[in-house]
Amino acid sequence: MFQYDFIIRAFIAGITIAILAAISGSFIVLKRYSILTETLAHSALVGVALGILLGTAPLLIAVFTALLSAWLIEYLRSFHNLYSDSILAIFLSASLAIAIIIVSLAGEFNSSLFSYLFGSILSVTTEDLIMLALFGIISLSVLLGFFKEFYFIAFDEEVAQTSGIKVKLLNFLFITIVAIIIALSIRIVGTLLIGALMVIPTISALQFKRGFLETMIIALIISVISVIIGITLSYHFSLPSGATIVLTILLFFITSLVTNRKLR
Amino acid sequence: MHWSVKITMKFNVPIFETKFLHFVRQNQNIVNKVSLRINRGDYTAIIGPNGGGKTTLIRLLLGLEKPTSGDILLFGLPLKKFNSWDKIGFVPQRVTQIDLNFPATVIEVVKMGRIAKRGFFKKESPEDLQAIEDAMKKMNVTYLKDKLIGDLSGGQRQRVMIARALASKPEVIILDEPNTGVDAVSQQRFYSLLKELNEKEKLTILFITHDIGVIANDIDSILCINQGLLSCNSPHEAMSCSSMSKLYGIDAHIMHHHH
Repeated sequence: MFQYDFIIRAFIAGITIAILAAISGSFIVLKRYSILTETLAHSALVGVALGILLGTAPLLIAVFTALLSAWLIEYLRSFHNLYSDSILAIFLSASLAIAIIIVSLAGEFNSSLFSYLFGSILSVTTEDLIMLALFGIISLSVLLGFFKEFYFIAFDEEVAQTSGIKVKLLNFLFITIVAIIIALSIRIVGTLLIGALMVIPTISALQFKRGFLETMIIALIISVISVIIGITLSYHFSLPSGATIVLTILLFFITSLVTNRKLR
Repeated sequence: MHWSVKITMKFNVPIFETKFLHFVRQNQNIVNKVSLRINRGDYTAIIGPNGGGKTTLIRLLLGLEKPTSGDILLFGLPLKKFNSWDKIGFVPQRVTQIDLNFPATVIEVVKMGRIAKRGFFKKESPEDLQAIEDAMKKMNVTYLKDKLIGDLSGGQRQRVMIARALASKPEVIILDEPNTGVDAVSQQRFYSLLKELNEKEKLTILFITHDIGVIANDIDSILCINQGLLSCNSPHEAMSCSSMSKLYGIDAHIMHHHH
C-alpha cells in the first residue's frame, strides 16, 4: 500500500493529528471540555463550507472559523452569566445551520462534503501537510511549553490562580490551540468524528488508574495505534477513515474497560 | 459604620491589610466594611456562622473575588500590584470534594506547588526538588508519593494539599476549613503540626475553622466574621465573652480590645 503517495501523506497527517489530539485531549477531558470539541468541529465546518463556496483553502478558512468560535465561546463564558453547556449547544447548531446553507449555495452538497464530514485518506494534499507541519509545531510547542500549567489549571483552577499562574490567559491560549488542532484534523477524521479522537483515548487511559503523565502516554499510544489501524482499514475496505479510526478507538475503550474491571 | 481591629503583634509587619473592605452579591452585604490587619508570624483563626462571609473574605484577600469597595494590601502592596504569589500558600475548602478520579499521584500534586516559580520548558531545579521533598517530609506524605490522590483517606489528602502549599516555601498559609471530613485523631495531630509550623518555621497562618475549642491554646488571635468583623483578640476571650452569642446571632456588636 505504500507505493502510493496519498497513503503516505495520509499516514503522516494522521499520526501528527493523533499525537496532538491525545495530548490536548487529556486536558480537555479533565477540564470537562469534551463537548467543546464537537462544537468547534462544527464551527470548522463553516470554514470548510466557505472554502468549498469560494473554491480555495477550506482548511485554512476552517482554522479561522474555529478560532473565531472558540474565542467567542470563551468570551461569553467568562464575561456573561450564561450556562456554558447551553452556549456550546447554541454554537453547535448555529454552525451546522450556517455550514449547510453555504454548502447548498455552493451546489456541491454530496460530493466533497462527505469527505469533510467523515474524513478521507484520499484528500490529504501536500499543501495540507505543510499547513499541518506549521500549525502542528506551534500547537505542540504551546502544549509542551505550558504542560505543567495546563495540568495545574485542570486539577484546580483557583489554587493555580492564587499560586500566580495566569489562568485566564492560559485558558484562552488552550482553547485557541484546540480550535487549530480540530480544524487540522478534518481531512483525516472529519468534523463529525474528531471529538471521539480527542476524548476517547484519554477516557480509555483513565481506566488504568495511573498518574497524569502515564495516563497521557497511554492515551497517546492508543490514539496513534488507532489512527494507523484505522487508515489501513480505510485503504483496504474503501471506508471513510474517520469512521474506521473511531471504531478502532472504541475497541480500545471497551478492552480497557473490561480488563481493568477484572483487575479490580 | 465600620470596625477596625488590631491583632496581636508578633513582628508588627503587616501581611494582610484591608481597609473598609466591602463585598456585595445580589444586593446582599456579604462582607461589610471590614478593616483588619494580620502581621507576620500571626496564627489567626477565623470563625463565624455559615454564610457569614468567612470564605468570601479569604477569596477577596487572594484576589479570587473583586471587592465592591475598599482596599486590600498584601505585604504592603495594593492587591493589583502584588505578584509574589509564591509567598502565599492556599488550601481551599474543596480539599475533601476533589475529583477522586483525577489521574494524579501524590508527588504530581505536590510538584504543582513549584510550577508558578519555574520558567517554561524548564525541568525542576535541584532547589525545586529539595522544596518538594521537604514539603512532603514535613506533612509526612513521602511514603505515599506514588499513590493516586483518589486512593487516599481524607486526612492523607488534606496533608498532601498542605504539602503542595508548602512546596512554594510560602511565608503565609491560608486554609479554609481544613478539617472537613477528617477524623478526630488526625485533627489533633494536624493542629499540633500547624502550631509547629507557626513556631519553628515562623509561618504566618490564617485559617477558617469551626472547632475553636480544640485550638484555643495554640492561636494568637481570632477574627469573628458575620458580614462585619467582630473583634476578639484572644481566643479565650472569644469563647468566654458574650461575643459568641452575638456572632452567631443576627445583630452584631463590637468588642474592642488592645494588647
